[in-house]
Amino acid sequence: MKFTTRQLVTMAVFGALWGVVEISLGSVLHAIKIPLTGLALSTIGLLVALIGRLFVPKRGSTFFIGVIATVLKLFSIGNIVIGPMIGILAEALVAELILDIFPKPTRLAFVLSIAGAALWTLIQPFVTGLLIFGRELLPIWLDTLDLGSRLFGLSSQAALWIVLALIILHLSVGALGGWLAWSLGHLVSLRLGGHSPEAV
Amino acid sequence: MTVSRLHPSSFQSGRTRPLVGSVGHLAIFLWSLGIVLLTPLRGGFIFACLCVVFLSLLYPFALRRILRPRWLILLGVLLVVSVLFGSGEPDLQVWGMPVSTENVISGIQMTLRAVVILLAADGLAASMDITEVAGLFERAGLQGLGFSLGVAANMLPNLRQSSMNAWHSLRMRGGMRAQWWRGLQLLLLTVLTNALRRSEDIVLAAEARAFRPDRSRAVPIRIGRMDWWLVGAGFVSLLGVSLFIRAFVR
Repeated sequence: MKFTTRQLVTMAVFGALWGVVEISLGSVLHAIKIPLTGLALSTIGLLVALIGRLFVPKRGSTFFIGVIATVLKLFSIGNIVIGPMIGILAEALVAELILDIFPKPTRLAFVLSIAGAALWTLIQPFVTGLLIFGRELLPIWLDTLDLGSRLFGLSSQAALWIVLALIILHLSVGALGGWLAWSLGHLVSLRLGGHSPEAV
Repeated sequence: MTVSRLHPSSFQSGRTRPLVGSVGHLAIFLWSLGIVLLTPLRGGFIFACLCVVFLSLLYPFALRRILRPRWLILLGVLLVVSVLFGSGEPDLQVWGMPVSTENVISGIQMTLRAVVILLAADGLAASMDITEVAGLFERAGLQGLGFSLGVAANMLPNLRQSSMNAWHSLRMRGGMRAQWWRGLQLLLLTVLTNALRRSEDIVLAAEARAFRPDRSRAVPIRIGRMDWWLVGAGFVSLLGVSLFIRAFVR
């Protein structure tokens, strides 16, 4: 991955913005224990990163932005943050892989990439819980079902419906984020110079 | 926040080269993760204990942080959840509650694993400079990351301040009441536009100093006198642990 000075600075800006979201908003949301904090943070963070992709439409730029945000989160004071760090890196990687399928940035690519990355937040507790903390899958599964039944008011016996509803919720929120990222990215570029970001 | 928190370097013994450098700290982190991942939950108790002792001696500041009430409560919750909701059959009565010995043992081991990871991650974060982390990533193929991280770290306080200013001005003008959705969009637009305008100055400053990412030197990494020994010892011990587990635990 080779970038020009301008591209490096632009990615630094978007990485720092994602970092700000994680450090400021993330700390507040985790402190007040709002459900689906991970989904909200990943969608906002990726929205920022994908606007960055519009300004640096090169392979690897989204992952690069994610790495910057991860390192900033690593060095944020007072917290030991291995979960969010894995989360940011994995989300950036998923978004990057989906974006790389498309030859150039499009609204559909944005929608799919944030939706895919948002889905990761649902899967992550199983992966980190099992691989890193050695937790059994059953308690994580029960936590997920409990969250779903509280959110949707479904009986915890209806496991399939709860999981389906959670998947749809994650995909929808992510897709909305992708849609917004595309629109906002173009608005920002209009404000800055009046031309589309791909031409920058 | 402290972005460029410098390492306390509690292991610096010589004048020129520290005893344990960045490579060593990274090796210790990866070794701890390796031990935790390699050993099965049942039977990995002794290895996790050894890891905790080793990391506590190496990073006493990380141990002090874990002993704060907030972390103790979190770890306690992890233990209680594993004891109460584990899959083992109850064979004990504790305060009138049926408890399974198997769940208690699994819970303790799970908590130990969490402690190992927390100690290793905190130790790594506190022992390495942000630029050194960038240097490691650069060597892994992300060229220019050191420069970008420097820019990002320096921009962070300004970005936070300008975001807060934009948020307060929007709220004071009632921007979040009637059309909160539009208000949020405007907030994001303002923050992004301001940040990108500021980035223009940084690009000009870098180019004026003839900075070119392809010609820049890679960020130097501190290599301690014990680093390669630690890498070797970590590798050998991981190999030994995996052979031991294959032979005796599984």
